[in-house]
Amino acid sequence: MNIVALVDVLVVVMPVLYTVLVGIYAASFFGNVPSIERFKTPLLILTVVCHVLYIGVRTVAFDHLPITTVFEIMTMLAACIAIAYMYIEVRTKASNTGFFILLLAFVFQTVSSVNIKDLTEIAPILRSRLLGFHVSTALLGYTAISLSAVYGFLYLMLYREIKSSRFGLIYNRLPNLEMLEKMSSKAEVFGFAMLTVAISIGLIWLPRAFENFSYFDPKLIGTMAVWILYAISLAAKRRFGWQGRKMMIVSLIAFGFVFLSMTVINMYMSGFHSFY
Amino acid sequence: MRDSSVVPESVTPSEFYMNLLSIGISHNTASLDVREKMWMSNEEAKEALKQLHGKYFNEAMLVSTCNRTELYGLTPDTQVDDSQLKKFLIDFKGAGDTVKPEHFYGSFSGGAISHLFKVAAGIDSMVIGDIQILNQVKEAFNLSTEIGVMGPVMNRLMQATLHVGKRVRTETSICEGAVSVSYAAVELASKIFADLSKKSALLIGAGETGELTMKHLIGKGIGNVKVANRTREKAEALIASLGQNGNVVDYENLQEALSTVHIVITSVNSPAYIVQPEHVRSVMKQRSNNPLFIIDISVPRSVDPSCNKVENVFVYDMDSLSAIVDKNVEKRKAEIPKVTTIVREEMVGFFKWHNSLQIGPTIHELTEAFESIRHQEVEKNINRFKPEDRELVDMVTKRIVNKILHQPITNLRNGAQNGAHGTETLNRIKALRDLFGIEDKENHDS
Repeated sequence: MNIVALVDVLVVVMPVLYTVLVGIYAASFFGNVPSIERFKTPLLILTVVCHVLYIGVRTVAFDHLPITTVFEIMTMLAACIAIAYMYIEVRTKASNTGFFILLLAFVFQTVSSVNIKDLTEIAPILRSRLLGFHVSTALLGYTAISLSAVYGFLYLMLYREIKSSRFGLIYNRLPNLEMLEKMSSKAEVFGFAMLTVAISIGLIWLPRAFENFSYFDPKLIGTMAVWILYAISLAAKRRFGWQGRKMMIVSLIAFGFVFLSMTVINMYMSGFHSFY
Repeated sequence: MRDSSVVPESVTPSEFYMNLLSIGISHNTASLDVREKMWMSNEEAKEALKQLHGKYFNEAMLVSTCNRTELYGLTPDTQVDDSQLKKFLIDFKGAGDTVKPEHFYGSFSGGAISHLFKVAAGIDSMVIGDIQILNQVKEAFNLSTEIGVMGPVMNRLMQATLHVGKRVRTETSICEGAVSVSYAAVELASKIFADLSKKSALLIGAGETGELTMKHLIGKGIGNVKVANRTREKAEALIASLGQNGNVVDYENLQEALSTVHIVITSVNSPAYIVQPEHVRSVMKQRSNNPLFIIDISVPRSVDPSCNKVENVFVYDMDSLSAIVDKNVEKRKAEIPKVTTIVREEMVGFFKWHNSLQIGPTIHELTEAFESIRHQEVEKNINRFKPEDRELVDMVTKRIVNKILHQPITNLRNGAQNGAHGTETLNRIKALRDLFGIEDKENHDS
């Protein structure tokens, strides 16, 4: 089997693996099926290993890291989310938030697999080493923002259940509010730091690399909006003691911006920064 | 009331047969004043078991808690009159004035085992899914072991009982969810806060449920305890009774205390709300909006319920806590069928072992009897054969005997391993012993 054929197989296998993985985590969360508990972590590890293999094989087959188009970035993002979650699950031994986080990885991977193209030729500009730094920090930032949003969402759900004393699955299966808040804020701080680096590199490198560079590029504005939102919320946390619900809402809005900037802005608004 | 009908649905009572007798009283048959008369300390239980052992039972166990006193024993034959045992227990406790034989229930064989398993599983408890009872049953077995009134059957029964308890706790959720108001409050606290050892709790007032809630919080490792009471002495006495280092908070300084603690339990008798939303709002500013969990167990309520509308403030009163408890009780009840299935499965397993227990000696003696006949006949006639054929004769006759015995032994073993054919296996054993003249060793020895 030549290497491109292997890529073609893995492109299909990855969404299937994520479907099974999310299915098992869903069954465990919603159906409370004890017999499938033991399959969760091994399958998660298998999926992550396959995903890393897929990225490796893609890189070799097409002679570049899959970071040059939005759909290549999406599979990288899915892998980062899955790896970050695997780390959390192995560290904390708590697997009940898995469904919600892996669902995001599943969505990103599926959209990627459906649309990704086998590019052997890429713009010379995208071969820059600075691009590697820019994209990897942006990726880590986006991963952290995604995790922060999921934990924020779960926090809000649990907060509502406790406030209204209507207890459902969320109450029974999730960790406590304080822990969810802590996970979300830690991810937020990390995401903010990574995004700061990514934007800094971008602002130094992009004007030199692209002739048509513009500070009014929609994606640049979208990312800056996320950064400013985070900056304001982190300042408000220090200054006005913002915490809990307010911070979680901010992290959800920030994720909304990220999602929009990755999808709608990237695909439908032209700009020097969209590689679609 | 002797109940031997509580056995797996798929088999008849006679198929689960053994000489195990059980009698007892519990919250199902007797009120607290009756039950407490029958309660036995470890020393009393040991003495009672020593007296019962040998006279009525070969092996025995007695479990006594505040909700039940039950006696389980292996009788030498099936003809034990449980009224004698009831009388023994009543006389032993000198409780004839209060306790009557009618307060007792009894069961035999499969019924007794099923009852024991259900007790250990917590579905016969006053609070369904009670987790303490399994330890109490375990201690009762250990007590019998200590004084030497356990034997192989009761030992195996102990293992099976503990296995039922373990399975019930891991495979069902019968023990999950708080079933008391005070515990429900503590469970909620652990859904709001991550590490209670870094948190503090303030108890306002001195109601019984409030105190109990604080005790549960201490049990969960709450870091810091504060008590506020209109009379300082009462607060000090309460802290002493909690057995935990704590601080007394003056009633006038409540507002200040509210800004530092994480959990507040109010258990006061007050005609008006002592905590109002405006208090809480200003307190939340002082505490940088850190979550505040208020448990209001006062009746009438002492915390304005609209405090719950303030962000990061969670207010629970008696009604909302009771609603949680009711739901949890319903959930536990819904788990009973799963527990019953486990009890059935474990009963089948136990009887499989018990039936096979009686087969071993029979097979051994049957083989010995055949071998002895063969040996005698070979000895008697061996000289009729040429010396070089004699070894062959010995071998051939051994083979014939083995082949004759192979089928009956296999059938007997299979019958016992199927577990649900206790009576049939016992009948087969009896028939074999009769037909081949294998004497009962015990009778023979005597």
